[in-house]
Amino acid sequence: MKCDEATKALPLFLYGELAFEEEERLELHLDECSLCRDRLAREKTLHRAADAVELVPSSEALANSRQQLRGAIAHAGPVRVTFWTHLREMLSLRFHPAPAVLQPIGALALVALGFFGARTIPLNIGSGSRINSAGMVDNPVTSRVRYVEPVAAGKVQIVVDETRQRVLSGKLEDQSIQRLLLAAAKDPSDPGLRVESVDLLKGRSESTEVRRALLYALEHDANAGVRLKALDGLKGFAEDPDTRKALTQVLLTDKNPGVRTQVIDLLIQHKNDNMVGVLQELMRKEDNGYIRMRCQRALSDMNASVETF
Amino acid sequence: MAQPAFRMDEAALIRAAQKGDERAFEELVRLYDQSILRLALNLLRSPEDANDIYQETFLRVYKNLHTFRFDCSFHTWLYRIATNLCLDALRKRRVRREEDTRVETSDGVLDRMDTVEESRAEADPQRKLFSRQLQEKIQGVLNDLTPRERTVFEMRHYQGLRLRAIGEVLGTSEEAAKNCLFRATQKMRAALGDFV
Repeated sequence: MKCDEATKALPLFLYGELAFEEEERLELHLDECSLCRDRLAREKTLHRAADAVELVPSSEALANSRQQLRGAIAHAGPVRVTFWTHLREMLSLRFHPAPAVLQPIGALALVALGFFGARTIPLNIGSGSRINSAGMVDNPVTSRVRYVEPVAAGKVQIVVDETRQRVLSGKLEDQSIQRLLLAAAKDPSDPGLRVESVDLLKGRSESTEVRRALLYALEHDANAGVRLKALDGLKGFAEDPDTRKALTQVLLTDKNPGVRTQVIDLLIQHKNDNMVGVLQELMRKEDNGYIRMRCQRALSDMNASVETF
Repeated sequence: MAQPAFRMDEAALIRAAQKGDERAFEELVRLYDQSILRLALNLLRSPEDANDIYQETFLRVYKNLHTFRFDCSFHTWLYRIATNLCLDALRKRRVRREEDTRVETSDGVLDRMDTVEESRAEADPQRKLFSRQLQEKIQGVLNDLTPRERTVFEMRHYQGLRLRAIGEVLGTSEEAAKNCLFRATQKMRAALGDFV
């Protein structure tokens, strides 16, 4: 491989889109050519630079979009499929051309599948589940095959995890509802769900358990939107020692300036001498102009120096 | 991009939603909506426009789900709808001028993009090496790409889709998607040559 060919292949190499042989040839060339190794290094830098401008929608934006969509769908009403649409779909046969040699094999496979399928699939799987015309389990909505094992007489034993949906409704003060919301507030897979749950819980922050969950979210949630919601719920407890301790920690360690801004506003509403050291430490490490200004003003109100000597 | 782990579950959800089960539809939306919103946000760089694309995409899915016949994956079908809407929006934008993300408020000038999170902003210490100037330059290059180049780059670089899948979504060949990606990276390299 020559250098100009290698240069052209570099971006595709980084995306893992080169064919095996092309990749081999490029790697051999890179082993021998320091110029192309430098080019590859530059290409990697370019990749990282492009990574840095990626935007991720905030969980609040996602929650808003979901809510808006729910409204739009409710407004649109159920989709009415007309008789003619049904008829047209029923009559529209779709052929997927396959090589001629495969067609008899496919036909045989279908006959065999139908024969063995009818003999082996039970009419009911568990209680309340049934097989629909497409061979899928209608209920539950989600299922996962956990384990398969061949057993005697050519049968197979399959262990399936099933997730059934249930709709629960109740007041926020109901213990069972609150427990579910507390669990949802920690669901690591869905920041939108966490925002919505914390948003609902924050109105019940007089409960110790809820307050503990809000403090946990404020200190540990990876998503700034969730942390801000939790902070909202803790506003009435800025004088509570546990809350102040968590707020101080967040002020010094949270990487989101929006969160730190809200925290400092909350903390300095109730100034006390214990804060001086924290604010002085903050002045040493804080880059954000607004937070520095608030911090400086609070220190000056408490007749404390801005820096430690 | 994270693909759904269990195809069977997705197919069951689609069938249930096709029969009018709204909870199944909502579940289906939640499987993909974060990716769709992120795709639209990165392509259009405007939270409002991204939300418009999100709404329009899923409303179209809702209204046309009964026509989905499993001829392709649901993922491809959904992305086809979303990327077509994004491409239309990008093409319209090329006609009028690129919108400024900054707006005047009573508190002064506010950049609407400050309300969205930048990925890996905190996790990747390497990011600190890149100055704001470099980021603005990259943003400028991305804006100068053609809508198709921009979409292919977005789907490959940020969404992690394979070129073959991108070709399917855009109704073109893998080779054409590869050429698009190549042109996009070439333009970026040419524009950022002094920076990296």
